[in-house]
Amino acid sequence: MDEFLEKLKQTRTGFLSRMRILSILDLIAIFSIVYAIFIIINLEYFLNKFLPVASIPIKFIPPVLAIFIAVLLSILLHRRDSKLNVIRIIENKYPDLNEKLRTAYDNRNESNVIVDSLKTIVSESMKVVSPSNLLAKSRIISKVIITIIFIAGMIFISNNPGEYQIPESTLSNITKTFPGQENNTGLIDIIGRPENSEAIGSNGSGDIFGKPKIASIEGKNIDLTLYSGVDTGFDVRDTSQTSNQFIKSAAFPVDIVGSNVSDGGYSMLMKKTETEKMLINKYAVERSKI
Amino acid sequence: MSNETYTSSTRIFKELLDEIGKVVVGQHEAVEHMMIAILCNSHALVESNPGLAKTLTISTISKALDLKFNRIQCTPDLMPSDITGTYIIEDIGGKKQYRFEPGPVFANIVLADEINRASPKTQSALLEAMQEKQVTVGNKTYMLDKPFFILATQNPIEMEGTYPLPEAQLDRFLLKILMDYPTFEDENEIVNRYTKNIVPSVKSVVSKTEVLELQKLTRDVPIAEDIKVRAIKIVGATRGKSEHIEYGASPRASIGIILAAKARALMKGRNYVSKEDIDVMAYPVLRHRIILTFESERKGMTTDQVISDLIKNVK
Repeated sequence: MDEFLEKLKQTRTGFLSRMRILSILDLIAIFSIVYAIFIIINLEYFLNKFLPVASIPIKFIPPVLAIFIAVLLSILLHRRDSKLNVIRIIENKYPDLNEKLRTAYDNRNESNVIVDSLKTIVSESMKVVSPSNLLAKSRIISKVIITIIFIAGMIFISNNPGEYQIPESTLSNITKTFPGQENNTGLIDIIGRPENSEAIGSNGSGDIFGKPKIASIEGKNIDLTLYSGVDTGFDVRDTSQTSNQFIKSAAFPVDIVGSNVSDGGYSMLMKKTETEKMLINKYAVERSKI
Repeated sequence: MSNETYTSSTRIFKELLDEIGKVVVGQHEAVEHMMIAILCNSHALVESNPGLAKTLTISTISKALDLKFNRIQCTPDLMPSDITGTYIIEDIGGKKQYRFEPGPVFANIVLADEINRASPKTQSALLEAMQEKQVTVGNKTYMLDKPFFILATQNPIEMEGTYPLPEAQLDRFLLKILMDYPTFEDENEIVNRYTKNIVPSVKSVVSKTEVLELQKLTRDVPIAEDIKVRAIKIVGATRGKSEHIEYGASPRASIGIILAAKARALMKGRNYVSKEDIDVMAYPVLRHRIILTFESERKGMTTDQVISDLIKNVK
């Protein structure tokens, strides 16, 4: 085997093992995030509520589920690692080998004076190639730091669940709104009722955040909620032509009517009562102030 | 021998180009492409206006390569036998015998000047020699000497009374080389050199054997798979649904690009073909192998512009 092929094989193995380390770091980081989320949302409470009978103890389910999700996501993230073109990565990192390495590799079975000289040059240049140089150190370091931060965060949250966990009372309120729960009245309308319509008639306090309004008349609760499309509004269904015929009215009699205000309204004013006169006077004074 | 030639190839090409440069001012690309055509054991078509040193360039190359050079001035009345040679009756000892008199095609480097002025019959005789590297006269076949290189020229401005080469025959030329007018500095140098009593001359720097060795070495230059694929994709793109191309290039173009790229790499002193070699050689290889649509020609597009677009689009 040519010297450069041996070196290439070693480099590839070293590079892939480093990529494996990266995938493990990703796995740990994802597990930390997912498990922390499970603690915050109090997954155990939900599991107890919805999965009262389980083959394994409930408290083991969140970490197992977190591991499963982490493995799945890290496999997805690193699914192309084994297909990475190490030759291209080496060529990008070492410009001296650009186009030479792949040519030498593609013609590894050829032998003539030019190919042999190329192989010699490539073998010489490959001596400085190291798998550790193929992955940016900053990438590895940042990944390690991020993973440590996530682990620390997860440990902190798991040790102080009371501070970060959603309280059980809140969760209990949430679960009550779930279909099929014990407080549910059971009537579910299929024609466009809002999601929280189950609460009608039970806890409706009339607030504006989704709870329906309930009117209580003589101890009897009446649901005032208007559902869209259910017994509300109207449909215009009558599309028949309406008659636009005009009906003649009797002609208004034309006559000359003398104005009552020809004397500046003075005679009219004099006819008013004293109270009216005072009121008009007061009005005129107030009006003048505007 | 091959090893020695390869080791000294960089020196050979440098000396060769320096020697040619003593006579031919500028036209570096044209000279390089002519050399590439010779290294590929193929032929080239040169298109340029008159007076741009086509004949001088090729005759200088033949002198520098120590090869036999002949020139054929193509005219409408040129007969195939004027190129290939003919039998003449000779009196030997009172007995009349036919003797074959080789034509100008029996040389290492042949300049077929204004090939499009020759009749199709004569053109095809020349093109047969190009393809088969042999000449058949009567019922006898004569092998042409190696290396054999034809440089045909065309004048792009005088089309009257010409017989344009059919596409199938154009395809047999590896490269179509365009020679442009020299720059001001080059023209100044040309005037300085050729208005004195001492006319520059060249000496032979490469032997015929070395040329044949270099031809062999050209084919040995390795090429990476992805670079090879790139060349094929470029040629394939000419056959695609390009709005500018009426007819695309044949697989001979793919062979041509890769071979020319190998020769270029060798000339540049590289022991591998680079992407750049493919891109540079795509122009002279494809130039005469694609036919533009009427609409593109009407817009004044050139084949080089279309090839440039193809190269940009190939990943």
